[in-house]
Amino acid sequence: MGKIRNRGKKNQGIALLFSIILVFCILGTVVFSVAKKISKEMSESAIQNLSASLDLIQGTMEAILTKEAEFQKLLAQEIASMDDPEEFVRSYKRNRTMVKMSLIPSGKTEGISNSGEIFTEEELDFSAGNTADGVSVSRSYLNYLGTWAYTMKCPVLKEGRGIATLYIEYVYDSFDEALPETFYNGKAMLYVMDSQTKRMVLKPKGIGERDAGHLNLEDFYRANNILEKDLQREVSQCVENGKNIMFYHDIRGRSSLNYMWSVNDGSVYLIGYVPIEEIQQEGRTVNQNIFIVVAVMLIAFILCCILYYLNQRQRFKVRKEREREREIHNKQLAEALQAAKIASNSKTTFLSNMSHDIRTPMNAVLGFTTLLSKDAENPAKVREYTKKITASGQHLLSLINDILDVSKIESGKVVLTVEEFTLNDLVSSVDAIIRPMAEARDQEFHVTVTDIKHEYLMGDETRINQILINLLSNAVKYTPEGGNIWFRIIGLKQRSSQYEHIRIEVEDDGYGMTPEYLETIFDAFTRAENSTTNKVQGTGLGMAITKNIVELMGGSIEVSSQVNQGSLFQVELEFRIPDSQAEKQFWKKREIFRILAVDGDGEVCRTIQMLMKDTGVLVDTALTSEEALDLVQKQSGMDETYDMILMEWNSPELDSLELARQVRDACPDGKLVPVVFLAEKDGEEMEDELRRLGNAGMMLKPFFVSALKEKIIEMQTERDGEETWEAVEDNNLTGLHFLAAEDNEINGEILSEMLLAEGASCEIMENGQLAMERFQSAKEGEFDAILMDVQMPVMNGYDATRAIRALEREDAREIPIIAMTANAFAEDEREALAAGMNVHMAKPIDMELLKQIVSQYVERKESV
Amino acid sequence: MKKRRVHEGKMGGMGKAFAFCLAGIAAISLTACGGKGSSDKNLVSSKRDSGSVVNLFGPMEKSKPDADNIARTAFDITVGMAEKKHDLTVEYRTYTAENYQEKTYDDVTLDRVRNNMDDLYLLNPDTIQILGSEGKLLDLSQLESAKNLRDVVKTANTVDGKLVAIPQEVVAHGLFLNKDLFDKYKLSLPETPEDFLNCCKVFQENGIKTPVGANRWWLENFVFAQAYADLYNGGNTEAEIEALNSGKAKYSDYMRPGFEFLKKLIDLGYIDARQAYTYEAIEGEGKDFLAQKTPIVMAYWGAANAETAYGKADFELKVTGFPSSRGQMPVVSMTGYGISAEAEHLEDTKKVMNTILSDEALQKYAETNKVISPSKNVEVECIPALKPLNDKMMENVYVLGSNASMKVEQWGNTCLIVRELLNGATVDECMKKFDKLQRASLKKEKN
Repeated sequence: MGKIRNRGKKNQGIALLFSIILVFCILGTVVFSVAKKISKEMSESAIQNLSASLDLIQGTMEAILTKEAEFQKLLAQEIASMDDPEEFVRSYKRNRTMVKMSLIPSGKTEGISNSGEIFTEEELDFSAGNTADGVSVSRSYLNYLGTWAYTMKCPVLKEGRGIATLYIEYVYDSFDEALPETFYNGKAMLYVMDSQTKRMVLKPKGIGERDAGHLNLEDFYRANNILEKDLQREVSQCVENGKNIMFYHDIRGRSSLNYMWSVNDGSVYLIGYVPIEEIQQEGRTVNQNIFIVVAVMLIAFILCCILYYLNQRQRFKVRKEREREREIHNKQLAEALQAAKIASNSKTTFLSNMSHDIRTPMNAVLGFTTLLSKDAENPAKVREYTKKITASGQHLLSLINDILDVSKIESGKVVLTVEEFTLNDLVSSVDAIIRPMAEARDQEFHVTVTDIKHEYLMGDETRINQILINLLSNAVKYTPEGGNIWFRIIGLKQRSSQYEHIRIEVEDDGYGMTPEYLETIFDAFTRAENSTTNKVQGTGLGMAITKNIVELMGGSIEVSSQVNQGSLFQVELEFRIPDSQAEKQFWKKREIFRILAVDGDGEVCRTIQMLMKDTGVLVDTALTSEEALDLVQKQSGMDETYDMILMEWNSPELDSLELARQVRDACPDGKLVPVVFLAEKDGEEMEDELRRLGNAGMMLKPFFVSALKEKIIEMQTERDGEETWEAVEDNNLTGLHFLAAEDNEINGEILSEMLLAEGASCEIMENGQLAMERFQSAKEGEFDAILMDVQMPVMNGYDATRAIRALEREDAREIPIIAMTANAFAEDEREALAAGMNVHMAKPIDMELLKQIVSQYVERKESV
Repeated sequence: MKKRRVHEGKMGGMGKAFAFCLAGIAAISLTACGGKGSSDKNLVSSKRDSGSVVNLFGPMEKSKPDADNIARTAFDITVGMAEKKHDLTVEYRTYTAENYQEKTYDDVTLDRVRNNMDDLYLLNPDTIQILGSEGKLLDLSQLESAKNLRDVVKTANTVDGKLVAIPQEVVAHGLFLNKDLFDKYKLSLPETPEDFLNCCKVFQENGIKTPVGANRWWLENFVFAQAYADLYNGGNTEAEIEALNSGKAKYSDYMRPGFEFLKKLIDLGYIDARQAYTYEAIEGEGKDFLAQKTPIVMAYWGAANAETAYGKADFELKVTGFPSSRGQMPVVSMTGYGISAEAEHLEDTKKVMNTILSDEALQKYAETNKVISPSKNVEVECIPALKPLNDKMMENVYVLGSNASMKVEQWGNTCLIVRELLNGATVDECMKKFDKLQRASLKKEKN
């Protein structure tokens, strides 16, 4: 149907085109005919004009000749009446027209002329019989002035008897004044030709080419290439007969109309030519104008057509675009609908899951609480129940944390806190959390760090930690017992010298995922559902949170997995590299300039070298004992020693302790070079060996500069016999008295009971205002710390803190105020600190954490 | 919205293009249909040019259907400069004789100058001498353009202490040789009269009946070359001329070798005397030379450049000096422009003269015409054909064909006497003519 319509449109278009062409053909034919007609008529008119002009010139010249003849006759009459005609002739002064006057008395052959010389008629030729007004006119000749002239003779009659003949010489130059100054804009040629001699006797001023002339008719033919004998003959006949003639002939490459125009019955001829284009000048101009008008109309029409076409095309494009946009829109709407449905389903599923997941621990809590009330007298049962209640509560808490976290990330409220951190701390903390979890499931946890150039980096350590914990805890969760988990940190090629480009890989050989699940793994509220994982508890939000954080950091996360083969998560991130000046100072201060690193694994050696690059410390590496000893001896030869030895802890290829001893022995002066062993695992059995060796320490792989630095400080401290850091693990709250602001009665009671259980006492105030007033009225030192809820009626925790800190009491600024709130986000913590609180602690209350914090702050107060 | 704006932008550009096209069409239409609007008044005045006019009399240049006359064009360019500069018109009046029986251009010139028919004249050397001595020509030494002239130009055109004519080019006459034919017969270009005779002999032996194409005007160059080679190049020029003017030396003694040489050429049939007597310059002998029927003709420098003369030869053309005892000898004569002492438009004519002879105009003239300029400030390169002649000129080796400081006019008289030789007179008769002319001049001097 569409094709038929298109064909119809095409046919219509062709028909329209043919119609237009036809109209233009007709128009063109009409214009051409009109132009031709105009041209013809104008040409004829121009020829008539030329004839008229030539007639006018002819008439003028004939009139001059007639007047000259009349005047001469008049003079003859005058002379006849004179007594001494010869005297009159002698006294004549020539003018521009009559240049010579002569008189021959009748019956004589010689006479006199005004120039004084004897005059005869011999040199004059009147044989042609030319006359003007009855007076004989001679053939033309070159006169004494060097110009072309003719003479007229008339009898001097006295009483009817001829007494003499009067000869007057006229010059052709005198005609010049009476002839037109220009002829066809100077493009036409005009000569005056004597028909007897065929000599050109005058070329009027301003007419024709001035840089060339024609001598005679023959020369005129030659110069203008008029060589056709027939034509020449015809022209000659006309000239002989005194007729006017015109003929077309090319003159110097231009088609011209040539003319021979008889003057005075053919005694003189006007001869010349006019280029045709000059004759048709007007016709051509008219035609040109017609063509211009037609051309302009044509162009205007074509422009209109183009405009129309462009407009149509534009409209078509717009329509197409709108259709496309509509299609995209529809598609988007459909997708959005689909997404909404999926989201709705997900959320329904999620709610169902949540219902299940929340109810499960809640059921446990409530169930065990019931059991607890029944078995209150049985301490063993009570302990068991409370342990299970705690576990269920903690699970419930993590569930709530995840839900809150994902909603916060999705609403874009998360702000990264970029600070300097070390990869060592990051790996250590992750290792500390994951390794026990893995060990609990008999899983092997492998940590490797390769190609890292900078260990100190700028980033949000907490969030990176979150990513790693999420990925690794999932790996632990979704890997069966006895499986393997690999955690790799790989340095990639830097895109910019200011950024470290890192890939984090978390791999396991666990359950893996189906391709369908892989597509939605990073969507919120999804969770791998199968018979195996149903045993695993979780919100299904961990991966969504992870992906969002990675993207927030400008990184990318990819996953590949196969069912029952395991999964591989790859996270790529870039971290800014901080200034390394302080780093160099550390090593300089401790006079460590050269280190020997011995490890059977070349990769480890290379990593050490790379990481130490920024420290300014030279690192020599050896893969074997022999190599290590060689290096040491070489150094000794140069009277130098290594300032430290880094050595792999017993590997199959290396007896580390033996090698350490040999290396030390090889050092000059028996210097006790510090030795740090790199071990895969922490082992108590090493302690004794190290003590025996002396000035030696042990650190866990992977190698990090910061870990080495810590170890160096530790060893230095031990060596100096000082106690630098002794963690006071005195977490006992016994005897402490707290002021607590808590609006929730139950929470207040729990807090009160918990503190009581730890030997501390507590006064609960219902809001910030009361708390502030209570503190104001308290004696100095009555309270050891204030535990402050945030969201409270009357006065919130922040305002209360600010009010307390503003009190005019000595201890108002010093008393530790601990935020104890369900507002658990980082910005809540920032706000709390900004209000003047010392530390932020999220609810529910973790007593161990509270003990740690309290002991830290209360102790500080005491020390101050 | 963004897309829409983009489209609007496109339409804007398109719209501009169309607006531009429409404006163009409108402009074309207005130009085509516009033009000078007629006056509101119902009066049409006739504009008849009544500006200043200067009348120039010169030889008629016969035009050819398919060729431009460069020499005349060059002159016209300078005249155009003068017309533009002084807002006047130079009107040309021309003449040339139809045949040898008619009055020559020089005759007509003499008539016209004597009757004060025009303002400005192009004069041949003999008329310069005659009219100068008659006092019919204005002294041009005060013209600004006269200051730049070469000394040789001034010398040749000074009569009775007055500079009466100034040329636009120094006309050096030479032998025009068909080098291809010379090469064909293994002949080197002739240096001396003997060389020349030998060449003619070889040509004749090889079937070229008349090796030298001659006309009634320029055979005298052979005479001048042999007569004055020593006089002008021997270092004693002034004294020798003085001896001639005082009658201590005879012109006939100088002229005799040249005439005898010409006589030999005629007798040996190397020159057709009858033809030469009637032939006009170039018109007569030129056809055979261009058709390679005659290997030698004589002409002036400019003929080598002019398409109307020998500028388009189908063979290698070489222009050398005339044979003399001192080798090839260019003969220099000068056709100059003179102003009638009683010119009707004297002041305008002086202005025109000053402009057409200015360095700027002469530079244009020399560049267009490739000739030697009379101004010492103008130099142009010559075409290869003219190199032999130019080399001699640059070496200052030449003879003057006309010298106003000689009391007996040379150029015209010698020409006429050579014609008598062509007409059958003996060398002795010709020499007597010279003696007679010398006596007449001495007599006139005495009076």
